[in-house]
Amino acid sequence: MTAQIELKNIDKHYGAFHALKNVSLSIAKGSFVALVGPSGCGKSTLLRSIAGLETITSGDLHIAGKEMTGVPPRHRDIAMVFQSYALYPHMTVEENLTYSLRLHGVGKAEAKAKAAEVAATTGLSALLSRYPRQLSGGQRQRVAMGRAIIRNPKAFLFDEPLSNLDAALRVQMRKEIRALHDRLGATSVYVTHDQIEAMTMADWVVVMRDGIIEQQGRPLDLYDQPVNRFVAGFIGSPAMNFVDGVISEDGRGVVVGAGDRIPLARQAEPNRKVVAGVRPENLRVAEGAASFHFEVGNVESTGSATYLTSKDGALQLVQTERLGFSVGDRVGLDIDPALVHLFDPQSGARI
Amino acid sequence: MRRFLASLRDGVGFDILLVGAAMVFLVAMAGLPLIYNVLMSFQQVDMFTLGSLIRPWAGFQNYIDVVREPAFWLVTKNTFIFVFFSMGGQFIIGFALALFFAQNFPGASTIRGLFLVSWVMPGLVVGAIWSWILAGDFGVLNTILKGLGIIQSNVFWKSDPAFSIWAVVIANIWLGLAFNMLLLSVGLAAIPRDLYEAAELDGANAFQRFWTITLPMMRSTIGAVLSLGLIGTLQQFDLFPAITEGGPANTSTVAQYWSWQMSFQLYDFAKGATISVMMLVLVLIASIIYVRSTRHEVRG
Ligand SMILES: Nc1ncnc2c1ncn2[C@@H]1O[C@H](COP(=O)(O)OP(=O)(O)OP(=O)(O)O)[C@@H](O)[C@H]1O
Ligand SMILES: [Mg+2]
Repeated sequence: MTAQIELKNIDKHYGAFHALKNVSLSIAKGSFVALVGPSGCGKSTLLRSIAGLETITSGDLHIAGKEMTGVPPRHRDIAMVFQSYALYPHMTVEENLTYSLRLHGVGKAEAKAKAAEVAATTGLSALLSRYPRQLSGGQRQRVAMGRAIIRNPKAFLFDEPLSNLDAALRVQMRKEIRALHDRLGATSVYVTHDQIEAMTMADWVVVMRDGIIEQQGRPLDLYDQPVNRFVAGFIGSPAMNFVDGVISEDGRGVVVGAGDRIPLARQAEPNRKVVAGVRPENLRVAEGAASFHFEVGNVESTGSATYLTSKDGALQLVQTERLGFSVGDRVGLDIDPALVHLFDPQSGARI
Repeated sequence: MRRFLASLRDGVGFDILLVGAAMVFLVAMAGLPLIYNVLMSFQQVDMFTLGSLIRPWAGFQNYIDVVREPAFWLVTKNTFIFVFFSMGGQFIIGFALALFFAQNFPGASTIRGLFLVSWVMPGLVVGAIWSWILAGDFGVLNTILKGLGIIQSNVFWKSDPAFSIWAVVIANIWLGLAFNMLLLSVGLAAIPRDLYEAAELDGANAFQRFWTITLPMMRSTIGAVLSLGLIGTLQQFDLFPAITEGGPANTSTVAQYWSWQMSFQLYDFAKGATISVMMLVLVLIASIIYVRSTRHEVRG
C-alpha cells in the first residue's frame, strides 16, 4: 500500500512552546487512522498541520506524493470535519454542501444533483432547504460530513467530530462514519481523546503524549503489547492496574507488598524493581488458595459485569459473573502469567 | 390587584413597565419636539407668534416656498453629495481599516485604539483642525499634494465653489472613520475563525472568503453602520460653521445647515422646520429599507 499522507520529522513550535516533537507517521491510502491522547497532547495541532491550517516549523509533509510545504490549504484537496462543525450559518444545508463545488466552478444543475446524492447517503434529503440553526446537533454533524464527502478529497480529517453528541448517537455515528469510509475507499485521519472510539473505528491507532508519538500500531497490538506504561494505561477501559513490586529471587514472579506474588510466564532479572501491569479483565477470582490478594473497597454491578475496586483504589477487577462480595472482603486472585506486563519504574518502558 | 402586583414582579407586567418607562421618556424628549416641528411646518410663523402653539394654518405653502427658494436645488445636490460621499468614504475606508487591524499583527489593537481620538474630539475642534489643513495658502494638504506633484498650484478648498463641499466631506470622512471602523471591527471579530478555515479547505481564496463569508456574515453590522452613518451625516452640523459656513454662495450648504440658517439667521422658523421635516422623511425611508433588509436575518 502506498502512503497517502507521509509525515517526516515534523516539529511545530508555538513561540517557545514545542507542540509537536519530531513526529513521523505514514498513513496508507485507504486506511483509517486514529490519533488519540490526553487533552493538549497535540492531536489537533498535528491534524491542522496536515490540513495546512498551521504551518509546521520543520519537517516534511507529503500528500499523495507531493511535497506540501508552502501549499495553502485550498490547494491540498483535503476535507476536514471540525468539532464545532463550522457550518456556514448564512447558507442552507444545500448551499453548505455545494459550497466547494460552486467555488470550483461546477454548474448549478450538477451541484444540485451531487448535493441530492450526498444528502441521500447522509440522511439529509428532507433538510436541504434548512439553515444550520434549524438543525439538531446530530443533523449538523451529518451536514459537516456531507460537506466533506461531496468533493471526493484526497483525505478526510476529523477533529473530535462526535464529542458534541449524546452517547447513543455517538455509537451510531461511529459505525456510520466507518461504513462511509469503507464505501468511499477514503483515507481518514480521526482525532479523538476517546480510546474506545479509536479502538473500534481505526485500522491504525497513534497514541500521542506531549507532542510525541508514544506508540502506533493496530488497535489490538496496542492493547496486547503496549510499549510503555503510558500507552498501557491509556488503551483499555477500565484502565490497566499497576502494582509496584520487586522481581523474586527465582525471577519467576513479582513480590508485592505483604508477601503477595504475581506470577510471570518468563524469567526476569531477579531483585529488580518493577511495575507490574494487569488489566482488570484479566484478574480472576480464585477458586482455592491464591498468591495475590485484594481487599474490596467498592462493588459496582451493571448487570452484565461486576466491577470490584480495592480499598486503596489502586486495583480494579472486572468480571462477567455476578459476584456476591461486599466491602471489606478479602479476595484471592488468579492471574494468568502470560497477561502480566512489566514496566520500568523510572522510564515506564516495557521490560 | 394581587394578580397585577404579582405580574409586575415576574410576569408580563414587568416587561410592560420597562417598555412603558422608555416610551414615556421617548415621547417626552423626542416625540413632542418632533410633533411640534412637524406642526410648525404647516403653520404661518412669525416673530410674534413664536411662543404660541396654535397659529394660522398654512397648508403646504411652506413646502412650496422652500422648493421655490433659489438655493433649494443646490442645497439638495450638496446634501446628496455630502451624505453619499461621506458615508461611502467612512464606510469603505473604515472597512478597509477594520480588515487591516483584524490581521492581528503586533500592536494592532493599540493602534486601533488610537483611532478613537477622532471620535472623542468635538466636531468644532475637528472642523478647526481641518480648516487649517485645508487652508488655501498655508494648508498642509496643499503642501503635500504639491510635493507629490498631484497639483501644480494651491487649491482653495474652502473658498473655491468647485471644492467647498468636498472640503467638508473630507473632514467628515475623517470624523466618522473611527466609529465605522470600530463597529465593523466588532462585527468582524464576531465571525468564528473556523468558518474561514472551513472555507479555505473548501477551496476559497482570500477574495472568495471575503465575498462569501465575511460580507454575508457582516450583513446586519453593515446595515447598522450604514443607517447610523446616514443619521450621523444628516446630523453633522459643527463642521460647517468651522470650515466653510456654507459658502461660498451656498455651494457647501447642506439641508441641516440650511435649516439652521433659515431658523436662526433669517428667523424664518416655518421654513427651517419645513426643511427638517423633509429630511425626516428621507431618514424614515432609509430606515424602512434598513429594517426590511435585516428582517431575513440569518446569523446563526
Ligand atoms: N495557537 C497556539 N498558541 C500557543 N499554543 C498553542 C496554540 N494552539 C495550541 N497550543 C498548545 O499546543 C498544545 C497542543 O494543542 P492541541 O490543540 O493540538 O491539543 P489537543 O491534543 O488537540 O487537545 P484536545 O484534546 O484538548 O483538543 C496545547 O498545549 C496547546 O496549549
Ligand atoms: Mg483538539
